[in-house]
Amino acid sequence: MDLVQKEHERVLRRLKASHVLKNVQSTIDILQSARDNIAADPSQTAATMAKLHNPVKHSFDNINDSLKETHSGLNKYTKSLDKLFKDRPLPSSELDALSNQEQLINRAIAMHLLREGQFSVAATFLSEITDQKSMLEEEIVSRSNLQTSNLFNIDEVPSTEIRKQFASMYYILHELKEKRNLLPAIEWSRENRESLAARGSNLEFELCRLQYVWLYYNKSLEPTDSPGNWQAAVNYARQEFQSFGPRYLPEIQKLLGAMAFIPNIQGSPYAATFNNPTAWEDVSQSFTREFCSLLGLSADSPLYIAATAGAIALPTLLKLQTIMKAKRTEWTTENELPVEISLPPSYLFHSVFVCPVSKEQATDENPPMMMPCGHVIAEESLKRLSKGGRFKCPYCPNESHCKDARKIFL
Amino acid sequence: MAAELTSIKLNPESHIILDQPLLRLPNDLARRNFKSVQRAVEREEKYILPTLLEMNYGSLLEESESESTQEQTLSTLDNMLSRMQGLKRKMQTLQEEEKRIQTQSRKRIQHLETLHKIPTLADVKYDQWSRVRLDRLLVDHMLRSGYSESAKQLAEERGIEDLVDLGVFMQCQRVVESLRRGETKEALQWCGENKAALKKSQHNLEFELRLQQYIELVRSQDQTKKIEAIAHAKKYLVTNQETQNKEIMRAAGMLVFTQDTRAEPYQTLFSTERWKYLSDLFIKTHHELLSLPSQPLLHIALSAGLSALKTPLCHSAHTSTSSNSSSSMGSSVCPICSTELNDLARKMPYAHHSKSYVAGDSIVLPNGRVYS
Repeated sequence: MDLVQKEHERVLRRLKASHVLKNVQSTIDILQSARDNIAADPSQTAATMAKLHNPVKHSFDNINDSLKETHSGLNKYTKSLDKLFKDRPLPSSELDALSNQEQLINRAIAMHLLREGQFSVAATFLSEITDQKSMLEEEIVSRSNLQTSNLFNIDEVPSTEIRKQFASMYYILHELKEKRNLLPAIEWSRENRESLAARGSNLEFELCRLQYVWLYYNKSLEPTDSPGNWQAAVNYARQEFQSFGPRYLPEIQKLLGAMAFIPNIQGSPYAATFNNPTAWEDVSQSFTREFCSLLGLSADSPLYIAATAGAIALPTLLKLQTIMKAKRTEWTTENELPVEISLPPSYLFHSVFVCPVSKEQATDENPPMMMPCGHVIAEESLKRLSKGGRFKCPYCPNESHCKDARKIFL
Repeated sequence: MAAELTSIKLNPESHIILDQPLLRLPNDLARRNFKSVQRAVEREEKYILPTLLEMNYGSLLEESESESTQEQTLSTLDNMLSRMQGLKRKMQTLQEEEKRIQTQSRKRIQHLETLHKIPTLADVKYDQWSRVRLDRLLVDHMLRSGYSESAKQLAEERGIEDLVDLGVFMQCQRVVESLRRGETKEALQWCGENKAALKKSQHNLEFELRLQQYIELVRSQDQTKKIEAIAHAKKYLVTNQETQNKEIMRAAGMLVFTQDTRAEPYQTLFSTERWKYLSDLFIKTHHELLSLPSQPLLHIALSAGLSALKTPLCHSAHTSTSSNSSSSMGSSVCPICSTELNDLARKMPYAHHSKSYVAGDSIVLPNGRVYS
């Protein structure tokens, strides 16, 4: 990379210092002055012409020299690129298993744009998709009247409903982040109180707590030592905190207990609640997560996570591809990648169970089974070990019958 | 802990596999640009220097300074001057173009350079960088699918115009559209501009285009048009006899068929599907010439990513306990389980794991579900 940068800098410098245009101009000047001479004094024609060839040739040589220099610079830069990308062939089509799933990809992109808040781009994108589709349809209809109807019915581009949902999410987030206005978020969480509670979410309380702190500080960003607007806060607490009932009682007690320390909250045991610099960020993050999961979506754009994971996985997969080509072996496990790809821990979303006996991953067909001793192996291993009867756990001295093993769900 | 550290290490050199076209394309454009500068200079040189010599000899031999020779000299010089002025203008625009390309390259190199300053994959900066990359991949995908307007808008909103090749793809798209409409003019013009580079290409795009022109002439069944077609074939097709002999024979055979024939291969030759074939061929040739990968990079990244993330649980018949985990601060919904990608990932292989990964203090509930 450093080499590439260096060579490119050289190319740029050369470009800036290029004399080509100047040399072209000087050629023009020479020709012009010769022409003027001849026009002014016809008797000098032969002499002028005789003298003309060499300087013109010279300036052309100059042009060519500086071109040659540029050329060698470009060549060196190309070579440095070759070196940088050596052993790293362009990913070939063999890795692309998605080329005939255009429809689904476009849907994913449209959803991604929506959830990133790029509503206008999303709108353009969707309208361009429909335009192209109708164009294709027309073409096909005009060519032949064969089964066109069911060809294009598979579009499930995001409905206007989802678009509306995301628009309201961005409105709430905007109010929250830019204007420090928690009310729309609180209102939303009240509307969805039941489904949020089913998820065990604390969102509504978190929002109200922040509102309480926000009122106490008199809606200013800087936590101050001076006693804040405690009356507003306490009034708010009286009004709102009742509904949170016993579940949040300890938290509410803390919030109200803090009022006793009003002159010096920062030095009190309650400072952490009142002086949390990431509070707003946290709340907007958990709001986004809850909002998306109520729609059945993950909080981060799946497209983003998948593409990033892909970029992390690609070097390994490409290496695998070259090795397989060199050894002419085929990939035998059709459903499973042949190599392990180490992704950062934040990219692990499910529990993974690998049978300690067979070293195979548990699947629906081969689920994990727990023996009475509490150790878990895959069903196939269990069958093989027990042969239908009593057997010893491969991990501890306990013996059990295969009937006693229970299927577990991760 | 050690395993955790290796899994988040960022190796920038191998991480930029997807970003080759980012630097390659401007470099190819710069080289092409340079070649046209070189050609222009060469052409003028080849004209001016010999002419000057000739005139020199002429004036030496004749020694007569008659009016006519002098006027001739002047007009030749004027001609040279105007040609040089033309050269200068041309070179000015080419140099502007080169400057534009190279500043763009500079920005792209800087973009890749930032990756080298990011130590781990867990870094916030990596997240930002990766988001820019996703935007680039999206724009690339949109451009390739012909959604130019969306691509432009997205690039503008994200401020990544210098990192994507709007111009190149839009030009390509224009030619493709003209081919779909049944016009060969723009495609042939493109062939003319890239004649030298096309010689190395294994696809004979130009021949196929000329053949299509011929087919269109034959299609009409008009006698004069047919004669025109034969002349056209003599001029453009027969010159490729060495490599395309079979096709030329077939083309000749077409003369006795009408377009509603059911005899092969003439039916295929007359078919309007051929325009689709031509536009695909054009895209292929165009991308190869500019060393662009034939697939959208988004596809490649996604198919690798989907597999790397997928677990057998993602399409399991039983709802997974961990995917809808209800702890509000816990892990978020798995991207593969999310509705956007679930169908897409259905046919992909799942990731290979050699170690179990279960949260530390899991409890098996009486119904067999694991709570963690």
